[in-house]
Amino acid sequence: MRPRVLSWLTLVVVSLSVLVFVAVDERSPATNADKAYALATEFACPVCQGQSVAESDVPVARTIRREIRVWVDEGRTDEFIRAQLVANFGEDIDYTPAASGVTSLVWILPVVVGAVALGGLAVVFRRWRDEPDRTANADDEAIVAAARRRR
Amino acid sequence: MSNSSLGAASVALGLAAAACAVVVVVMGLAGRRPGWFREARLLTWVMMFAATAAVVVMERALITRDFTVAFVAEHGSSQTPALFNVATLWSALEGSILLWTLVLCGYVVAVVLKFRTQGDDPMLAWALLTLFLVAGFFFALMVGPSAPFDRFAPPLGYDGPGPNPLLQNHILMAFHPPILYLGYVGFTVPFAFAIGALCTGRVGEGWLLATRRWTVMAWGYLTLGIVLGAWWSYETLGWGGYWAWDPVENASFLPWLTGTAFIHSVMVQERRGMLRVWNLSLVISTFALTILGTFITRSGVLQSVHAFVESGIGPWLLTFLAVIVIVSLGLIGWRGDELRAPGKIDSPVSREGAFLANNVLFAAFAFVVLLGTIFPLIVEAIDGRTISVGNPYFERMTMPIGFVLLFLMAIAPVLPWRKTTGEVLSDRLHWPAWIGAGSMVAAALLGARGWSPTLAFGLGGFAGGSALRQVVLATRRQGWRGLVGRTNGGMVVHLGVVLIAIAFAASNAYVRQGEFTMAVGDTAQISGHTLTYEGSRLTEYSNRTEKSARVLVDEAKVYEPAIAQYPFAGRTIGIPSVRSTWTDDIALSVLTFPEGSGDTVVLRATVQPLIVWLWIGGLVMAAGTVLAVVPGKRRRPTAPTSAPPTSHEVLL
Amino acid sequence: MTAPAGGSTRTAVWIVVPIAVVLSLLILLLATREPATERAINFELRGEIAPLIEGEGLDGVWFDIDDHSNQWVVVNFFSTTCVPCVREHPELVEFEARHAPLNDVVVVSVAFDDAAANIRAFFDDFGGDWPVISRDTGSIAVAYGVVAVPETYLVGPGGVIVEKLVGGVTADQLDGLILSAGGA
Repeated sequence: MRPRVLSWLTLVVVSLSVLVFVAVDERSPATNADKAYALATEFACPVCQGQSVAESDVPVARTIRREIRVWVDEGRTDEFIRAQLVANFGEDIDYTPAASGVTSLVWILPVVVGAVALGGLAVVFRRWRDEPDRTANADDEAIVAAARRRR
Repeated sequence: MSNSSLGAASVALGLAAAACAVVVVVMGLAGRRPGWFREARLLTWVMMFAATAAVVVMERALITRDFTVAFVAEHGSSQTPALFNVATLWSALEGSILLWTLVLCGYVVAVVLKFRTQGDDPMLAWALLTLFLVAGFFFALMVGPSAPFDRFAPPLGYDGPGPNPLLQNHILMAFHPPILYLGYVGFTVPFAFAIGALCTGRVGEGWLLATRRWTVMAWGYLTLGIVLGAWWSYETLGWGGYWAWDPVENASFLPWLTGTAFIHSVMVQERRGMLRVWNLSLVISTFALTILGTFITRSGVLQSVHAFVESGIGPWLLTFLAVIVIVSLGLIGWRGDELRAPGKIDSPVSREGAFLANNVLFAAFAFVVLLGTIFPLIVEAIDGRTISVGNPYFERMTMPIGFVLLFLMAIAPVLPWRKTTGEVLSDRLHWPAWIGAGSMVAAALLGARGWSPTLAFGLGGFAGGSALRQVVLATRRQGWRGLVGRTNGGMVVHLGVVLIAIAFAASNAYVRQGEFTMAVGDTAQISGHTLTYEGSRLTEYSNRTEKSARVLVDEAKVYEPAIAQYPFAGRTIGIPSVRSTWTDDIALSVLTFPEGSGDTVVLRATVQPLIVWLWIGGLVMAAGTVLAVVPGKRRRPTAPTSAPPTSHEVLL
Repeated sequence: MTAPAGGSTRTAVWIVVPIAVVLSLLILLLATREPATERAINFELRGEIAPLIEGEGLDGVWFDIDDHSNQWVVVNFFSTTCVPCVREHPELVEFEARHAPLNDVVVVSVAFDDAAANIRAFFDDFGGDWPVISRDTGSIAVAYGVVAVPETYLVGPGGVIVEKLVGGVTADQLDGLILSAGGA
């Protein structure tokens, strides 16, 4: 059993160090184009049906894409860009619902429901644990034996 | 007789047959009609005939361009190529309902054939009653708000606009909707049997065994349909995207999630007799979600690229949904307590414990997707604001669930039933875990950065290793039979899921996009690829004019993304061109050819790694489903539920 | 959800009822929603100070909206390939001609996603003698929240946005708006 334990330990160490390494090391920092593209995917094209600014080819999407790029090149923060677009085009351009007011429900509800589900599971497992095991009695054994003979 | 009257007559015949069948079954259930099953069977064939006739008439009308049929006048065109002419049927609302009905009738016929020897079983009677009611509803839709055979008086020389150009420029459009419908509609059968089980109070596993394969088949079709849909989006929409968390995509994904939960938890019921109510609820939710999806797609309540035009069909579907919900919940409330099985799950770390966790996760996943999809409507109802819920929300919320699911997928297949020890787990998971760690190291060496995609690769490798281990063990033990049967086929499906998960993580995390304005001879660089613009070209087709940009990729091959003008539809669409390799894809699309500045093009290039593995993963999942449906080795009822590890296993 | 062993025989009802309530609300919600296409487009700017418009016109003269704060300004976003823009153009010409002698209104056109050469040809063909900004107009359009041309904004003296008109204007309509807003 010793080598197996060692192997698992090595595995955990290797995995964690790789994860830390890839999280810390940034070999190719995101260019402005990448940043602008990532931002553009977070906004809805105002006239399209279900396409983002990054995806759509209509003029307004192209215009907003270019403007986002201009802002990114000027060194504006994501928050500034978000605020600008929401102010000019309305709240529904932002694909990320605000974490305040009514819209915060969309973030909170799943967590609440998930917690309730996990809590329910925990309760059920506790009940199961406290329940006595059912053991086969002589009658059950007889039924099984009969079934085996018949095969 | 004109196509319109023939078609309308067929639809009416179908409705009449369904109505008669309902009456016959009800009388049979009341004990008044001993020979009810024979009559119901006959009526099923009449229904099938009616639906087939209606589809044939519509196809004839489409192919002969009979513009006296309003549907053809609105959606057909003499300019549409032959294949897409046939596919026009499902490119618009009325035709899609017609196709849906045909598929449903096909399933009812299959049920009647499969259970032909069990005609006196009341559970079958209730199930058939449900099926006839559902079929009757769809026929009624075609008589009422979604009549496909309305008449039209075409002026001299009239020609229709043809289907939406986006729906007629890719071969996948011919396959994706019918396959998706085979999946959607297929869930009606288990639903009907679930209702049958609830009505008769036959709480045993009978209905489950009866419909197990149907469910798996329907699930397989749905999976394939969704993957083909993603592929179609990728190939035709031209932004390098294949999944946008769009309401209509979500609508097809929701029943997939609950269906997936069901085909896992059903195994707990078969083996341990537990979770009966939960399984019934999952089957019913899956069916209800297909109807909800139909509503979302066809009512125009939510905006989507894929939505059909708004129509009067919405209230009908919503009423139908309400009836399903009321009847099902009523039945569960009435029967639920009787259905409860004795028994318990001894340990959370056991096969059944893992299935339970799987179900909680899939239910949570479905909840998040449903909530995100309808949340804009909720907010609008509460305070009148219009908001959007999109990509960032869905990604942030579903990513953790996806990680845990992958982890579960790695350990669950090796878990024994009832309980286990750390030693067994350590033995069985040792190599899969190293495969996972190895994938992370390999990914990091190949240049992957960022913790979340790397973790996805690691967990994917772990889950893949675990599935592979099961497949290897099974084939060593049973030869080729180790690949068929539900468990083994299921492991092949898992391998497909792993491929998709890895490709999804990679393509999302490492996408690069650039817009380039290029004159002839200009080159552009993106992600280590070289694009050279070689000029444009104009091509006339029967139904469109294409202006394509000749783009030399990596000095090897020319790709021609284009802009197509469909004069009849009065629309202009982009036709992307994709260079695919095993490692990465370059999707090219033309944004514009700016006027007045010579031969210049504004080109968009999207580079994403591993895209091709999404489609391969989908095909592997489909293949695994087929393997799972092939009967595997019969397990004797007395065989131990979990074999002790063999020497092979210890070696692995 | 899971079926716990034991417990009262009413458990199913207790679970079913809340689910039924939630689902009824959901269906009610879906039943009462208007189709998405009929929902109004946002107009966030009414009553706000008009965003800055400045740039070089086709004639090379610099335009700045702040130079016209004592006049009415009609800001017209357009593109040469848009059919309603072509249709409304004569109306703008007529409107401009009416007000040119009074010098109480200035019209300014802002190209939307279009090339300068096309714009020049457009004005050569269809007439119109007012400032036309054709280059780098993206920021202006985004600042006004233009989603699809033609869009016309009526800016009152003092630089406050009075109205937004979508899909083409007529000279009489513009005059009516100015009159009802108490101007001219």
